[in-house]
Amino acid sequence: MSEDKNNFSVTIRVWRQNSPEDEGRMVAYKVEDVSPDMSFLEMLDVLNENLIKKGETPITVESDCREGICGCCGLVVNGDVHGPDKHSTVCQLHMRRFKDGDVITVEPWRVGSFPVIRDLAVNRTALDRIIQAGGYISARTGSSPDANITLVKQNDAEEAMDSAACIGCGACVAACPNGAAMLFVGAKISHMALLPQGKTERMERALNMIEAMDKEGFGNCSNEYECEAVCPKEIKVSNIARMNREFLLANFFSKEGK
Amino acid sequence: MKLNPNIPSGPVEKKWDNHKFNLKLVNPNNKRKYDIIVVGTGLAGASAAAALGELGYNVKVFTLHDSPRRAHSIGAQGGINAAKNYPNDGDSVWRLFYDTVKGGDYRSRESNVYRLAQISNQIIDHCVALGVPFAREYSGYLANRSFGGAQVSRTFYARGQTGQQLLIAAYSTMMRQIKMGTVKMFTRREMLDLVVVNGKARGIITRNLITGELESHIGHAVLLCTGGYSNVFYLSTNAANCSVSAAWAAYKKGAGFANPCFIQIHPTCIPRSGEHQSKLTLMSESLRNDGRIWVPRKKGDKRPPDQIPEEERDYYLERKYPAFGNLVPRDIASRAAKAMIDEGRGVGPTGQAVYLDFRDAIKQKGIDKIRAAYGNLFDMYYQITDEDGYKLPMRIYPAPHYTMGGLWVDYNLMTTIDGLFALGEANFSDHGANRLGASALMQGLADGFFVIPATIGGYLGSSKFEDIDGETKEFQESKKRIKEKISRLLSIKGKGTPTEFHRHLGNVMWNDCGMSRNEHDLKHAIKKIAEIREEFWKDVMVPGTNEELNQTLEKALKVSDYLEFAELLAKDALERKESCGGHFREESSTPEGEAKRDDDNFCHVAVWEFQGEGKEPLRHKEELSFENVKVTVRSYK
Amino acid sequence: MNLDFLTRLYATSIGRKLVMSVTGLFLSAFIMFHLSANLLLLKGAKIFNGFVGIMEKNPALPLLETGLFLIFILHILMGAWVRWEDWKNRPHGYERRKWQGGRTVGSATMLYTAPIILLFLLYHLFTFRFVDHSMGYYEMAVSAFRSQTYVIIYIAGFAALLLHLSHGVQSAFQTLGINHPKYTPWIKIAGWFFAIISVTGFTVIPLYFFFGIDAKTSHFIIEIMH
Repeated sequence: MSEDKNNFSVTIRVWRQNSPEDEGRMVAYKVEDVSPDMSFLEMLDVLNENLIKKGETPITVESDCREGICGCCGLVVNGDVHGPDKHSTVCQLHMRRFKDGDVITVEPWRVGSFPVIRDLAVNRTALDRIIQAGGYISARTGSSPDANITLVKQNDAEEAMDSAACIGCGACVAACPNGAAMLFVGAKISHMALLPQGKTERMERALNMIEAMDKEGFGNCSNEYECEAVCPKEIKVSNIARMNREFLLANFFSKEGK
Repeated sequence: MKLNPNIPSGPVEKKWDNHKFNLKLVNPNNKRKYDIIVVGTGLAGASAAAALGELGYNVKVFTLHDSPRRAHSIGAQGGINAAKNYPNDGDSVWRLFYDTVKGGDYRSRESNVYRLAQISNQIIDHCVALGVPFAREYSGYLANRSFGGAQVSRTFYARGQTGQQLLIAAYSTMMRQIKMGTVKMFTRREMLDLVVVNGKARGIITRNLITGELESHIGHAVLLCTGGYSNVFYLSTNAANCSVSAAWAAYKKGAGFANPCFIQIHPTCIPRSGEHQSKLTLMSESLRNDGRIWVPRKKGDKRPPDQIPEEERDYYLERKYPAFGNLVPRDIASRAAKAMIDEGRGVGPTGQAVYLDFRDAIKQKGIDKIRAAYGNLFDMYYQITDEDGYKLPMRIYPAPHYTMGGLWVDYNLMTTIDGLFALGEANFSDHGANRLGASALMQGLADGFFVIPATIGGYLGSSKFEDIDGETKEFQESKKRIKEKISRLLSIKGKGTPTEFHRHLGNVMWNDCGMSRNEHDLKHAIKKIAEIREEFWKDVMVPGTNEELNQTLEKALKVSDYLEFAELLAKDALERKESCGGHFREESSTPEGEAKRDDDNFCHVAVWEFQGEGKEPLRHKEELSFENVKVTVRSYK
Repeated sequence: MNLDFLTRLYATSIGRKLVMSVTGLFLSAFIMFHLSANLLLLKGAKIFNGFVGIMEKNPALPLLETGLFLIFILHILMGAWVRWEDWKNRPHGYERRKWQGGRTVGSATMLYTAPIILLFLLYHLFTFRFVDHSMGYYEMAVSAFRSQTYVIIYIAGFAALLLHLSHGVQSAFQTLGINHPKYTPWIKIAGWFFAIISVTGFTVIPLYFFFGIDAKTSHFIIEIMH
């Protein structure tokens, strides 16, 4: 319920960095008249509107759908990746989680493979390059047989869906103590390995995607499962185990040249 | 402006095959000599880029996001239709075609819709092959559900994320082409102009959103897959970055804009909570299967809903439409809600909402059944509103959701500019005046995967192209014009933010040009829009420079286009003096206040032609003829 | 000859992790073996020295020791390499970061327990392995276990090992791709169980000698052992 008497003010300590070359620093801003019904990003909108009116440079922050599905947004709020709410993106966080006088620290994803572009916006194209290396099933348009020719066990379809739910936000990498992208890559390899359609290419897919992941400089998995804890789509670390199995299988048992 | 829809001859079910046979083909070895520019990477754009890349064309694809996977096709929850008839419940290509034409209130082109229904089955086949984890029966066969009031179960779905899963499929198959070198990806680029050389679309000007550099891209054909314009209302279910800018640039270069006033307003969205609201969130309309919609009988009744006794509640949909009750189509449910709110019977702190009540369903079926069916929606509602939908009725309000109007295209999806094609929501062709649930995904993929790969060859194979480069006059002029526009925006240094102007425009559009329209309000809107536009160019504040990542500048450019486009939308609504589908003119209604279509005078597509800045656009007509579908009156009484 | 399948074991992230996990599991097995040998200390000088004598005469001993050494080195090198890469990919840390539910004390301290264990190991090798054994192995052990300094160092080393194993064992299974909703909870428990059993076993022995329990109740204990 939006009642003015419920409104409050907070202080935002936010990372400001003009360009990738700029050193960057934390800057504090006071935001007044925050409604508990505002989303966190709407609160930043209000702050930005005020900055624009003063002719100052607003804070660059990325978001698009604002309903937790596009994967654009991603912030570390008070040390929590995607904010304190479990299994949601930061655009789904609301100000009612905060109270008057709170000082809120806002930082971008801190990963070498995701260099900061400006302020809170980072470059996540490394994830796309990993998909390019093999995150697909090579079916030419027009060549597909009737959809019901290949049966898929309901359980497999559900499990594949669990893995496919990834929105590519990069929170797993941001949360990982090692800056590893294993949950992202594991989820994609799992999605395709679980479905009969994806089995033909599974060996090359695993090796190529892992190679691409390494090339991007992502860290290694130390099985600490912070990625699973912050994933807005509840993707499980069993996906990483499956990727490891696919690797073992491909490395030691595939007969192909690779 | 010549409007030749190029509908192939022959019976409707043979048209597509005949047409494909008659189209000119491009020799496989010559395909790589053609550069195709694809703008947008949603379902239509990504699938077109992938399919054209597979054929061997040289494709350049552009997105304003950091990744092509972010396009707002991901937002679609419900599913995708296809005429597979797997459930054996009497569905067929013909029935899907018929339902779509009827659902569109007889304002779409029969031949295009029939082709869409025909292709629908191939889409499912291809998407399964690409690894979309569609829902399955225990036996392993694909599962179907009935959606959006359809009488057959023809909707395929992947949990509540069908749009996302289909987009990932289209995106990943496009990524494969990128690896193979047939498709080149340009991220964080916004198309700011279309370049037409000697009557043919030959390229685009993009702004690199990181460096601000204006870039010329040259091609032999340009495909606009840039989605709809619901954000002209400021608040909609669309993502923040959705804009009309690319389509508007094409319009200004001579592409006809068809039926801009056809907008779908979705009835079950979470209402806004205050001025700060940046977007509206949709809840699946499946909620209406069990929820009952009501408002208090008394005006301004501020009691909490659980203290309003049964006899003081007005279940207005059940009262007005006893046959369909709470399940009336989207446009009717939305309008009825607006009528209640206009009477002063809206609920919640803003009075801009109606109740969607599960009390009786919970009593009847038990809370566990309701939780199993809609648990994720109740959670979503709780997350946004902090209210428990199991205990208190949910508050809902309609919100702009999809735009049936768009760039006019012929049967080949080519606009009135040679070599400029429009695909997906960006074109107008398939949904008439109202879109059925689970049809948007179908259309995006049909256009991209199956239609354009066939029709583009016909254009390229029968056209001659001259050699041009970025130095060509038209590119240079276009760049110069954009530079001037940007400098102007940056130099005003006024007091209003682009968002404030956008919000102001949205208010006008929603109040005067929203769910229920009349001549007086529309004229008022046209006047107001011009005022806001003038104010914008006098008083907007855009800090920073062009040569940097400048989100305020991006926003200002989008708003500047919306401020021009909104006027065309209002004009189109004013000229269409009938009610049909999502467009309701109060002057054209039955005595009970229901929509009245005027087939004698308005059974046509209105196509607007740009005449120059400050000049009145010209309204052309493409007459629609219905040879296969019987034109009837929609009634849900 | 295609040797990619071998080079990939060090050239890819997952290959390196596999080496970590397999060597880790070998080392865990060695710990178990070492523990069972140590428990013979409780049976008195004759039995223990007898056992060591047999081991010393085993012609394969140099080979086994070299193998063990190589496994250690691999485990350490891969660990260092992996951590070096992780460190490179976080050029700028978070000003504020709360762990959100995945990390455990064991997992978060792997980087610190590892060098502690290594230092302890070196100390252990230079006090037991690379010294004059003429006084007899049993006698060496007992005299060390009567020294307060040695016992403290010994227990600190094994406390580090406890944390290291609490994460390491179950982590090795995950790396090998062994993850299943039915068994993974048990693997996690078993990992802890293994860590506690082995570390308790190792620490009980010095305490036994340090507090002179051998003299007071050796008969009683030996009865139980039988």
